[in-house]
Amino acid sequence: MVGPIYIIAVALGLAFVMGLFGKSLKNLSEWAMLAGLGFMTFVSGQWLLEFMNNTRAVETIFTAGFKPPYSINLQMGIQEAFFTFIINVVGLLGGIYLFKDLKQTGPNAMMVFLVFVMSLNVVVMTRDMFNLFVFLEVGSIATAGLILLNNNGNALQAGMKYLIATGIISSILLVGIIYAYYFSGSLNIDDILAANLGASKVTVIAVFLIYVSVLLELKPFPANGWGIDVYTAANPGIGALVSAASASASLFVLYKLASLGGAEWLNYIAIIGGITFVGSNLIGTKQESPNRLLGYSSIGQIGLLTMIVGLSNILGEKMIFIASGILISHYAAKAGLFWLSGIINAKDIKGWAALRKSPFLLFLFGTFVFALIGFPPFPSFFGKWELIMTLATGGHWAWMVTILVGSFIEGIYLFRWLGYAIKLDHDELPDFKIEWNKIFPVWIMAIVLYAVGVYVSPLTEGGMFINYLPLMFVLFLFAIDFLPIYIKNTVSIGGIIWYMFHIYPVLENDLLRLIFAGIFLIGGVLTLMAGYNKKGTRKGFYPMAMMMYAGLIGIIESSSMLEFFFSWELMTAGSYFLIIRGKRSLPHGYSYMLFSIGGAYAILFGFGLAFASGFDTSLAALGDINILPTLAYSLLAVGFMTKTASLGLHIWLPGAHGEAESDVSPMVSAILLKAGVFGLMLLFLYMDRASAGANNLWYVLGWVGALTTLVGNMSAAFQEDAKRLLAYSSIAQLGYILFALSIMTHLGWLAGFTYTINHFLFKAILFLVVGGIVVKLGTHNMYEMGGMIKKMPFSFIAVLISIIVIGGIPPLSGFAGKWLFYNAILEKGWYFQGALIFFSGIVAFLYLYKLIHSIFLGQLKDNHRTVKEISAWILVPSYILIIGIMIFSAFPHWILKPIETMIAPYFSSQALMWDGTKALTSYGYWDGTTIMIVVGTAFVLLLTWLIVLSAKAKKIEQFNIVFAAERPFRPETTHVSYNIYAGYKKALGFVVAPGITIFWNVVSTFVLEVANWFRRIYSGNMQNYALHVVLYIVVFYLIALGGF
Amino acid sequence: MEYIAISTGFALMLLGLWGILSQKNLIKIVLGFTIFDTGINIVMVSIGYVKGKAAPILDVINASEAANKIVDPVPQALVLTAIVIGLGVTALMLVYVLKLHREKNSLDINSFKDLKW
Repeated sequence: MVGPIYIIAVALGLAFVMGLFGKSLKNLSEWAMLAGLGFMTFVSGQWLLEFMNNTRAVETIFTAGFKPPYSINLQMGIQEAFFTFIINVVGLLGGIYLFKDLKQTGPNAMMVFLVFVMSLNVVVMTRDMFNLFVFLEVGSIATAGLILLNNNGNALQAGMKYLIATGIISSILLVGIIYAYYFSGSLNIDDILAANLGASKVTVIAVFLIYVSVLLELKPFPANGWGIDVYTAANPGIGALVSAASASASLFVLYKLASLGGAEWLNYIAIIGGITFVGSNLIGTKQESPNRLLGYSSIGQIGLLTMIVGLSNILGEKMIFIASGILISHYAAKAGLFWLSGIINAKDIKGWAALRKSPFLLFLFGTFVFALIGFPPFPSFFGKWELIMTLATGGHWAWMVTILVGSFIEGIYLFRWLGYAIKLDHDELPDFKIEWNKIFPVWIMAIVLYAVGVYVSPLTEGGMFINYLPLMFVLFLFAIDFLPIYIKNTVSIGGIIWYMFHIYPVLENDLLRLIFAGIFLIGGVLTLMAGYNKKGTRKGFYPMAMMMYAGLIGIIESSSMLEFFFSWELMTAGSYFLIIRGKRSLPHGYSYMLFSIGGAYAILFGFGLAFASGFDTSLAALGDINILPTLAYSLLAVGFMTKTASLGLHIWLPGAHGEAESDVSPMVSAILLKAGVFGLMLLFLYMDRASAGANNLWYVLGWVGALTTLVGNMSAAFQEDAKRLLAYSSIAQLGYILFALSIMTHLGWLAGFTYTINHFLFKAILFLVVGGIVVKLGTHNMYEMGGMIKKMPFSFIAVLISIIVIGGIPPLSGFAGKWLFYNAILEKGWYFQGALIFFSGIVAFLYLYKLIHSIFLGQLKDNHRTVKEISAWILVPSYILIIGIMIFSAFPHWILKPIETMIAPYFSSQALMWDGTKALTSYGYWDGTTIMIVVGTAFVLLLTWLIVLSAKAKKIEQFNIVFAAERPFRPETTHVSYNIYAGYKKALGFVVAPGITIFWNVVSTFVLEVANWFRRIYSGNMQNYALHVVLYIVVFYLIALGGF
Repeated sequence: MEYIAISTGFALMLLGLWGILSQKNLIKIVLGFTIFDTGINIVMVSIGYVKGKAAPILDVINASEAANKIVDPVPQALVLTAIVIGLGVTALMLVYVLKLHREKNSLDINSFKDLKW
């Protein structure tokens, strides 16, 4: 074992010797520095390992041979080992990253670098108050020196601001220390903590001065302009160190001194942290400069951690796990992002579009963004989960809201940024070079994130059951991403099919899950088949698609809330990447993500309440919520409804589905939306039916469903874009499902299931086929299509059958759904909503007619004369789905009977009886098989007769009389289907006025304007920043001690 | 006596702080800092002062009875360290001022507001 004192000795010695290096040795100095940093890393790493194996007690190092308080002592426990290790690791990697910059500046810079890292080590290890002050000062001086690595005006200004502010702060700390010494008689931290200085009105001044200066070192909002400027102007390599290493050390100081004042002071710390977390992230939303944005984000994350330290009494023993999960994510992600920023060297976050040139860098960027937000499988996910659960247990709603709101605001700018990198159109992508020494540290940090995430997951309750198998498959697909499409497609399909066999025995006795597993997995295979029709390598598509399916199947498999949430987030991440792949999908992917994060946090809050109700981590806890049950159920419902795109939460869907790639649309429409339905079903089945809150909620949701249907159908009727028409139709169909489920009767649920299965079948067909046609014809606009019936007869039949299902026309399964639906409405007595639903059913015919007429009937356009049928790879899965429709239509009892048996225990009366193939209710009966036979026979007879009759008819060739000698400037206006329902629009258009879009726009503008207003305090004047620091001290004093 | 020292110390601190916050010339701001630091040092020494006792120099006082006769030596030791640190910080600040002056040929603090918001 190498003693911790050697960390300091080696760094100081090396820094000293470097000054004596002659010319010949000068070239070796950077290697010497790296060796020194490597040694420091090794020492702290070895201690960390020992502590983790529990083979050692805490080590105290006495300097000068005396015991405290007569000498300075250092301590090396597991926490110190952890902090020094992460500091030294980022120091070493940062040294590698800055290799050339440091070499250029010479050995002096390296000395400063070594001293910087060393000072942070001492700050962590020391148990002496004055020694702490000295090394904080050494660290500040070294930082100010390192800022000069970027020798430009901005860095100079930032450094000066930093010096002035830290000068004032450390002076305050010094006064605090001298008072602490005066009152406690010792400089040893443990003695000072034991003196209980917070208890007396006189001695509390020492507590105040120490706390306020330690907190100011953490750059609390809004007294942090000096800190942000450092992040903005310094070399990103230095920014990484300040953000990852200095901030960690300062945080550890706060943690060390947390018990100095007592519970009341912890409260102040938590509040200061909370304000910083929300405020700093809020201002981040208006940032365009990558480094400054990272600065705000860093300060925000440190604010969150400060808050966690402040809440340590509430969090108890979980505090260490929570804090380290969030800290390590912040540490690795922020260092990685700063380093990436240095590589790309763009002034504006829009310039990060250049990342697209290097998929690996893009992968790293995505990793860091998701780690910061707290997505699985990163440590912050588990940290945040435990944080919310623990806070919920204690009933600390305000803190939960603060954390979730702050995290959401962070998502606003991080995902805008990620979207730019993935998708933004840029004429000239700035060039950047990738040097090995700059990219290597970034990779290490990404690996740290994944490794630590998987390592910590079993430490959470329920986390050990998380199934990482699908994720391994995703990683494998990443590894083979360079292969051509047909190989990856086959591997993916193979993987899903294998999983079907794997999961069937598990779910065999759980019909609810089996149905959804069927939709997800069979749907997955069928929609993937369409991918064979694409060429090239389709980089990044397969891992992301599989991530979505992994999440979907994980939702099905999960038995605990943690597993469910883990999979839910995984699905969100995967689907986000799929959606944003579309050509014009940048804004739509972004809004999808924001709604998804918002929804996920609503779910998390609900899960927290469920957990707090009975300390049950399984999903069954949802059935037993006794703390704020109405709020919990509403939040959960809202969370799931962000995925079902119910009215108010639907504005992301039309763009996301309409602009997605042709085979992605069916995935995210026919399949992904069902995750929300599954969530709602689970929730409704678990919900406590007896409580009045639950019934009111269902009543409201019923109205929401009915209105969603109306708005969805009417909007669909007014679309000119074929895919958007289908997207709005999805909104409406999901509205039907929500309505049917909210009825909460036996019949209602049967209708809900029928609609769910139907929507999966026909929407997959429609999006596949129409997507294929859109690609073939090169336009989304239906008025630019026409006459495709002869060119694409198979597509026509597929679309025809699908719209018969949507329309609910016998004999297909849509009719079964409608029949059950109206029975359920009559039985429930929801007549107003029923009328609305009935009316929207009629509106549906308008868009269905428009769809099939404008694409397939009417005049063939000149430029489409050579068009051929769409690819067989699209038609085959569509026709397999049609077979599904036929089976479901002719033998509905095969599926509906078992469903009925399954849901029977949940509902009091069994309103539906079966008599063979005949379904009976008190309002009548319906027999799918018979109807199929009757209508089928009639259809065949009529068709035969029609063919016989028209055999003698003369064929009329098409000729162009469309424009009749006019020269219209907007020729589409002469097309019959263009604005075909103008009259209806005039009469009823107000229903589809984009009120909700306007509402959300106002909300987002408001948030951004608030951010814009607040950031004006960062005037750039260093004197103002010094004043902020002084005012912060004064205000904190008045609040904490002034009796305010 | 000790009240004079400690009040002078605090007065100097406030004076220094006033200088930092009100002066527009960078050199004067740095001077404000040194005054601020000096104030703190005086406060520190005065806190360790015990009425009627000698300086903690063992040449003058017999080591065996030193504990009863001298003032608390720790604050004095701290002040020495604080002075050294103050020197370092001041030197670095002056270097910054020099470089800033070269950059814009101005010492006015208002000409260095390029980074904001």
